[in-house]
Amino acid sequence: MPPCVVFGANLALDKHEKEAQMKRLAYLLVTAAIVLLPIAGSASPALNNLVIGATQEPSNLCPWEGAADTKENVMGLFNIGLTYFDSEGVLRPGLATEIPTEANGRLVVYRNAEGTIVGQEVLWTIREDAYWSDGVPITSADAVFTFKVQNTPEMLVTTRAFSGLIDRVEAVGEKSFRIVYKSPNLFYAAVGGAIGLARHYDIAPKHIWEPIYDQVMAAIAATPESTTEIIEGQFLGAPPSTGTGTVVGSGAFKLAEWQINQFIRLTRRDDFFLDPPGPVANYLDEVTVRFIVAQPTLLSGIIAGEIEASDDIGLAGLDPDILAAQLGAVGTVEVTPSGFIEKLNFNLFPECQEAVDLLLGDKRTRQAIIQAIDRQDLATTVYPGATVSNSFVVAGDIGYDDTLNQWEYDPAAASATLAALGWADTDSDGILERTTDDGREIEFRLHWVATTADFRIRTGEILQEFLADVGIRLEVENLPGSVVFASEYINHGSECSYRGIFEYAEAGGIGQAPADPLSNELWANELLESPVDAILENVPLPANGFGGTNMTGWINAAFDQLRADALQEFDVVKRAEIVKQMQQIYNEELPTVPLYDRVETVAKATGLLNFTKGTAAARTQFWNAWEWGWEQNGAVAAR
Amino acid sequence: MLTYLIRRILQIIPTLLVISLVLYGLLALKPGDPIDELRRGNPGFTQADYDRLREFYGLDKPWYVRYWKWLGRVVRGDFGISRQFGRPAAEYIFQYRFPNTVLLSGLSLVMAFLISVPTGVLSALRQHSAVDYVITVGNFIGVSIPIFWLGIMLIYIFAVHFRGFMPAGGLATPGVTGTWAILGDRLRHLVLPVIALSSLQLAQWTRFMRSSMLETIQLDYVVTARAKGLRERRVVFGHALRNAILPLITLIGLNVPLLFSGAILTETVFNWPGMGRAIFDAILVNDFNVAMVSLMFISLLVLTFNLLADIAYALIDPRIRYG
Repeated sequence: MPPCVVFGANLALDKHEKEAQMKRLAYLLVTAAIVLLPIAGSASPALNNLVIGATQEPSNLCPWEGAADTKENVMGLFNIGLTYFDSEGVLRPGLATEIPTEANGRLVVYRNAEGTIVGQEVLWTIREDAYWSDGVPITSADAVFTFKVQNTPEMLVTTRAFSGLIDRVEAVGEKSFRIVYKSPNLFYAAVGGAIGLARHYDIAPKHIWEPIYDQVMAAIAATPESTTEIIEGQFLGAPPSTGTGTVVGSGAFKLAEWQINQFIRLTRRDDFFLDPPGPVANYLDEVTVRFIVAQPTLLSGIIAGEIEASDDIGLAGLDPDILAAQLGAVGTVEVTPSGFIEKLNFNLFPECQEAVDLLLGDKRTRQAIIQAIDRQDLATTVYPGATVSNSFVVAGDIGYDDTLNQWEYDPAAASATLAALGWADTDSDGILERTTDDGREIEFRLHWVATTADFRIRTGEILQEFLADVGIRLEVENLPGSVVFASEYINHGSECSYRGIFEYAEAGGIGQAPADPLSNELWANELLESPVDAILENVPLPANGFGGTNMTGWINAAFDQLRADALQEFDVVKRAEIVKQMQQIYNEELPTVPLYDRVETVAKATGLLNFTKGTAAARTQFWNAWEWGWEQNGAVAAR
Repeated sequence: MLTYLIRRILQIIPTLLVISLVLYGLLALKPGDPIDELRRGNPGFTQADYDRLREFYGLDKPWYVRYWKWLGRVVRGDFGISRQFGRPAAEYIFQYRFPNTVLLSGLSLVMAFLISVPTGVLSALRQHSAVDYVITVGNFIGVSIPIFWLGIMLIYIFAVHFRGFMPAGGLATPGVTGTWAILGDRLRHLVLPVIALSSLQLAQWTRFMRSSMLETIQLDYVVTARAKGLRERRVVFGHALRNAILPLITLIGLNVPLLFSGAILTETVFNWPGMGRAIFDAILVNDFNVAMVSLMFISLLVLTFNLLADIAYALIDPRIRYG
């Protein structure tokens, strides 16, 4: 064992040992110099660059496989769709020359004798000045190829919800293409709705992906039993998908570097067709997105100045006022609607005896519960900045009905309603009881399940207090999201997987984009097939293999009919009026108790302009990267 | 000794087989599958999409059928694809995660060892002195402070309060070029996480070293060595320390595998892309292939380092022989 220097020990050091000590000290000083050198040499980031802190990283860059959620925000930096939503919720043409409508003749709708839409055709024209980031023009051939891959049965595509409505995509010249739908598609103009890619864009580069596609299909033809391995290895694992090879996009920036689990770095393209409000030189040259999973680390990086902007979920749950105080002069805080509504979903399945015993199927019970909760207090406490919701549409949306019953906090009214239903605290233990028709004594013990997110844990505690005041004992259960959102759980309400309330959030819109597919979890019967059948496609029951998204099991024929009517109405204003009628039914029946419209808190450095989230329908924060810039560098506000 | 070594190495294979079966079964018991992630991220996702993807990935088969297929691929060196990142699972772990963990955990281990040994020796030699008490109190503090809290405090002090003095997290600063600049940048990013990660080990090993040293220096042969007139340095380092350090080596040997999997808190706080976090995320999002290759690797490490600890013991202590 080599001798060690033990400072302070009564050990005599001879001449050789002293020399060894000096050498060690020298090594330490050199190392310190190397460590400190970057500090001495580093300066503030150049004002034409931006470092964003994001909490989620894309899985891959494959156009056909992925998730159109916040993980894909980054994709919006180097790809743009045929259209995009601006910050006011107005749909604007992106790659397309104009948005197809019946008025401009690009949307042709086919109706049967009853007036029901049975098909439609949409003609798109790509801009003449639209190029891929490697300089190749974007053409109709790219669109045709994109659909070809999307429609190949062997291919791994995430969803065929919209591409399954397409009969064919055909080129009409070099820049135009026609999509012929065999079923109505309300979302034809929104990002991800045209051809149906599960991404924030619509068209993939044929010249990059066709050789890969051909190779994969040939391999599958040779060894069909290895289809999964071939697709995983050669398609999903192809260099353009993993970012290890040439990555070509249609957006304002191009991929320069992707260090997996660390950052993505992008540089501005010279040939992008949308310009910022002013000389391009005054706007960002480079954007780096750093992936940071822990909120405290993200916040520290922002306050320390290492990160100049956050994504729209990294700072969720933080009080905007406190955050602003922490940032001080370093930056500002922006609070915007997320488009998601936090709500309590009741188990209304008649097959779940426990839910039946609690009379959850009676709307008066649900009305009593909503009145027993001070939702304003709840929202303020657990989700600062959020506003109380009374609908399945977010407030401020064009289709939001502002005449709805506000269901004010009124525990006295709640107690009276419960008493009228036969509940009473007969044993004075603070919990209501009642006797069922078959003579059983039931206590009002309400099972509540949610994920382990901090704000939901806190929500459970607060709800316990409110409901205890009216004699309801809330039995809280917080489980990991991967457990409660597993199909074995969330789709089995009829088997009492959750026995009372399941709290989570859902997008609340009126069907402007695939992101808000119009009361996704409240309808039961589609009513759009011909002839109409009585099958409840959307209610998870044994008969349909527990498929569907109506986790409450709520069935309302009038609601379903209005929804079917709305899905046939391409005029947004007219559709909004139909959805308002749906909201009236919902507001009375309350199959779910809406708690609050969630908000997104974004921090950004002082001087950063035009870094503003788009609407909920857009589902991407990075919708206008070409306009981002520093005021200090001559950038101006775009709107 | 050679026979013993061969026997131990051969035992690793069936042990790993049993471990793989248990791990795969446990992962399969967890509710949910990789498709749930896609469904949550795509509001338009249909039941038909769900069924199609489950069939594509073989998730409609019983778990033991899937395990047999997985095992068949593993023996051919194919650990499957990471469903999170579209890369081979083994490549993802060993190219993008493992080196980072080796760097962080290795440096933490070395730092803890280099400090704990002399500190423990000093504390033992100066028992009941002010130095001993300071070291002892420091050890208790080190054992008591949660790593994640320490990490956050380090970031707050050195990155936020002294703005820019140290990075707030991450592996490297994007865009840094030049060999020396990159080296310096990497070292800067290592300073705080290494301090945080090594704090608990340092405290524990210092206490351990102190106890072991106290016990050893009171033994007859040490007293004899001093009586013979040997220099104190020779007595301490040449005789006492060699014996006192044996239990610590065993402890370190058993702890090394844990360093590769147990740094999740440090990795999360400092945004360090290591194996701990990779395993945790893979289990959460049901990325079976990444979870299996990581957990199997950890298992292999445990078995290997157990064996290495036994060998080191035999090398250091001539009284120990294996047959």
